Amino acid sequence: MNLYHSKIHRSLLVKDARTQQRNNAELRFRAYGLTAVSVGIVALVILLVSIFTSGMTAFQQTKLQVTLELPEAKLDKKGQRDLVAMKKVTTIGYFKVLGDGLIAQLERLGVETGLKAKEVREILSKESAATLRNAVLADPSLIGSTVTMEFLANGRIDGYFKGRVDRASAQLDKNVEPGQLDIADALAERRLMYTRFNFNFILAPDASDQRPEAAGLGVAILGSIYMMLVVLFVALPVGVAASIYLEEFAPKNRLTDVIEVNISNLAAVPSIVYGILGLAIFINMAQFNQSSPLVGGLVLTLMTLPRIIIPARAALKSVPPSIRDAALGVGASRMQTVLHHVLPLAAPGILTGVIIGLGQALGETAPLLLIGMVAFVREYPAAFTSDSGLFGEASTALPVQVFNWTQRADPSFVERASGAIIVLLVFLLIMNALAIFLRRRYERRW
Amino acid sequence: MVSISFPFSMILLIAVIGYFAARRKAIAMVKGNLRQLQALPQAYGQTVFFTTFLPATVILLGWAFVVRIMGPSHALISDGLFQGLVIITAAVGAALSYLRVKPSQRARAISERWIMVVLMAASALAILTTIGIVISMLSESAIFFRQHSWSDFFFGTVWAPNFRGGSQLSILPLLWGTLYISFISLIIAVPVGLYAAIYLSEYASPSLRSVAKPAIEVLAGIPTIVYGLFALITVGPMLRDFFVQPLGLGSSSSSVMTAGLVMGVMLIPFVSSLSDDIINAVPQAMRDGSLGLGATKSETIRQVVVPAALPGIVGAVLLAASRAIGETMIVVLGAGAAARFDLNPFEAMTTVTVKIVSQLTGDTDFASPETLVAFALGLSLFVITLGLNIVALVIVRKYREQYE
Amino acid sequence: MTKLPIKISAKNVDVFYGAAHAIKSVDVEIADKMVTSFIGPSGCGKSTFLRCINRMNDTIDVCRVTGDIMIDMEDIYDRRVDPVQLRAKVGMVFQKPNPFPKSIYDNVAYGPKIHGMARNKLELDEIVEKSLRRAALWNEAKDRLQEPGTGLSGGQQQRLCIARAVATEPEVLLMDEPCSALDPIATAQIEQLIDELRSSYCVVIVTHSMAQASRVSDRTAFFHLGELVEYGYTSHIFTNPSDKRTESYITGRIG
Repeated sequence: MNLYHSKIHRSLLVKDARTQQRNNAELRFRAYGLTAVSVGIVALVILLVSIFTSGMTAFQQTKLQVTLELPEAKLDKKGQRDLVAMKKVTTIGYFKVLGDGLIAQLERLGVETGLKAKEVREILSKESAATLRNAVLADPSLIGSTVTMEFLANGRIDGYFKGRVDRASAQLDKNVEPGQLDIADALAERRLMYTRFNFNFILAPDASDQRPEAAGLGVAILGSIYMMLVVLFVALPVGVAASIYLEEFAPKNRLTDVIEVNISNLAAVPSIVYGILGLAIFINMAQFNQSSPLVGGLVLTLMTLPRIIIPARAALKSVPPSIRDAALGVGASRMQTVLHHVLPLAAPGILTGVIIGLGQALGETAPLLLIGMVAFVREYPAAFTSDSGLFGEASTALPVQVFNWTQRADPSFVERASGAIIVLLVFLLIMNALAIFLRRRYERRW
Repeated sequence: MVSISFPFSMILLIAVIGYFAARRKAIAMVKGNLRQLQALPQAYGQTVFFTTFLPATVILLGWAFVVRIMGPSHALISDGLFQGLVIITAAVGAALSYLRVKPSQRARAISERWIMVVLMAASALAILTTIGIVISMLSESAIFFRQHSWSDFFFGTVWAPNFRGGSQLSILPLLWGTLYISFISLIIAVPVGLYAAIYLSEYASPSLRSVAKPAIEVLAGIPTIVYGLFALITVGPMLRDFFVQPLGLGSSSSSVMTAGLVMGVMLIPFVSSLSDDIINAVPQAMRDGSLGLGATKSETIRQVVVPAALPGIVGAVLLAASRAIGETMIVVLGAGAAARFDLNPFEAMTTVTVKIVSQLTGDTDFASPETLVAFALGLSLFVITLGLNIVALVIVRKYREQYE
Repeated sequence: MTKLPIKISAKNVDVFYGAAHAIKSVDVEIADKMVTSFIGPSGCGKSTFLRCINRMNDTIDVCRVTGDIMIDMEDIYDRRVDPVQLRAKVGMVFQKPNPFPKSIYDNVAYGPKIHGMARNKLELDEIVEKSLRRAALWNEAKDRLQEPGTGLSGGQQQRLCIARAVATEPEVLLMDEPCSALDPIATAQIEQLIDELRSSYCVVIVTHSMAQASRVSDRTAFFHLGELVEYGYTSHIFTNPSDKRTESYITGRIG
């Protein structure tokens, strides 16, 4: 038979043109693949770097030391150290006292200001008045003496020390004067103003719009912890129980098939839908407190349940049938086989799934926004109170706090939001590291 | 208001006491000769525990829930009386089951039956969730549709809520934003994710794979609020300053492109890990057959492996699309709030999810259509993502049958 | 012994899987236009050696091959040789039929397409028909060319794989236990096909069935524990083996 094509393989030692072309195509294909992998990794790096650089500074705060008199005339008119009377002096009064003290201090130090008294006072954060007031109310004997205390500097001064604000922008900004920056420099030279590591960022509650320098994550972290506890104590037992039933005991028929499809779907439902569910049922129908960690925890539980059931079932399925046969063979009942033999062996896989599910729940924002956790909460929520019940007090959560701060006008809140994300990522890192550790240490490969 | 803590602790207390009492009774009845018992002593204790604890607790929680929903005036009986009844139920349960404890009782079977009930109830909760989602959204949407025409909602073209009345509430402009952003994100995520999966499973050295795979998994574990912030503070401004403004295409840092880019990055690991599973499922024999004919690796992948894996890959793309459509935080922070039909991807355009959040937060009047529309939006979103998920599942299932 | 030209010549070939020494110093000369079979107990290395001839072992990272294997006097492990070109010249049929999930036509056309052997559709059609005829599948397949290859029976699928392999106009055909997954009738069909193929190709077949080797091949090589123990005319090996080990295998004492 005639062969129309040219014999392409005369000599193997000679690479023909077409093979060369195909090899080039191969190299190009490889390059595309490597490029794709690099794109993913580069994107990750850029993401992390941008968050870290904008958030690292949130962990430091500018403070100044003020030595001031605490005049009885202004703080305790009656002179009786009666707390009830003393409490009538508000932070406005204390702010004035503090301001006067600062002005006096600057005079003593020989720092020229050229600014009005109000403007000098405003170098201090408005929060500082509360700090002073709390200190005095805690120890009324301080009145009449001269004290040296540390106070928060205002957000713009803090921004100056962190590079966000300079004299050019200060000219245009109505919240800060270049003269204030000069004073700041002068105080810094004398070691009276400095930027230090700020634990308060993690511990303190949130602060109002005008006081980004005082805003902290304390309430948010506590709220998140409460919610995680709710999820842990509800989703873990219910999820494991459900997966045991579905994997080991449920008869394999169309109904269980539907249930399986149902659970796969629930795992893929957008989280905002769970928020709607929570709003409709827990808040509208059941009248739980809006914005409470209990409702947040319950909503997150519903969301996390399928994400626990699916890996738990996989872990149970991976235990080989020979184990079950052996247990049944010595006379154990099916329940005993599952509870005493299969479950312990599947435990590492289940636990890993739970930890990962908890991690996902920790980072969820949308459902919490819908149940009202977006409010501004200043008080640390108590775990249990008699009128709101368990975890019933209003709170916020880490990711919601981040969202909250992004919605505020003051640009210093961007730094706060990024810092909060760093804290969130650290928590997630710990949880995932724990999950990986458990998996490496305890998981068996059958 | 029904208070739970006191009666619950009482029930628990009675149940625990019952457990120990029953155990002791069982042992006493055989005078310590355990082999004469039908089950281990603890099983007898368990029967009493479950009979005491479970019915009473169910009644307690159920009634509390019902009262919560209906309102305290519907309680019919006072709180104190109810607590007493529940505690008595527990006590009666304890007494009855205690009396039934005897050596010939098949205690283990009984207690296991209770355990099975508990397990089944837990599974029921998972289904109840779906039912709850559907019912809650349907009922609130029904109220909405009584106040606002459904044809306008589904077919109108303007979104302009006005709390003073006369709102135009249509889903189409929102759907446009949603689909546009999802489309852009898929254009990024699908090629990158697919090629990355192919490279890592077919070409990469084990050392590269052990570094690159976890790195890409990390992208998957990052919460969406982080991506949202990234879009807000980095991607948006960068896009605007270096690209959009110089070219005169717009002036906003929030845009479809911003959200689409960031969402694309978020979806890369999702597509990559799904594709990886699918590609590995193609049998090695197929690759050998192709290589044996003298095909290069890339030809084998492009002409044999990928076509064989195509149904699975399509399923993965649909799942990624479903994820993109339902995403909230990235679009809230990156896409803006303006509802409009625009082809310019550098304009701010909002989505269904953003509006759900904005209509349900802040000061809202729950009976107004402007608030209730969020439920209708949520229902539509649920139906769309459910549809995509089911189609994806069906496709992947059919494909898996091909190889098993 | 060597009236026909030598097609494949192996000298001092060793194969290592990591630390395991799978093939030990094998020398063999395989002639063209005849069927040579490799026999031996499982794990003796016959498939491994077969896969060296078309460098399929390259796809396994831990596999290392030393020594010379020449086809038409050209060392196939030479640095200038591209395995892709080699495998167009040396076709392979595997143990379990592995048609692609494509149509019968596309299965057969795959090789010629990637090697650019046809200038247009007409030529491709001809190649497909010719290959299917060579594999004795044309009559059964000609009306179902667009149907999936996976829809054929086991024996038909293996013949499809043979058609696929001969479509690239190879000169050597390697068959790794081609009938072990097939029923006796399909096996008989394949064996008849091998008989027809011998006139056009150098066929090397690995088989665990001594009966098949004696039915089908002209020369037989007996492998044991990685060594080529004996090589000669099939009739000689089976009636009057020179090596004790060969005799033990044939009489069933080992393997």
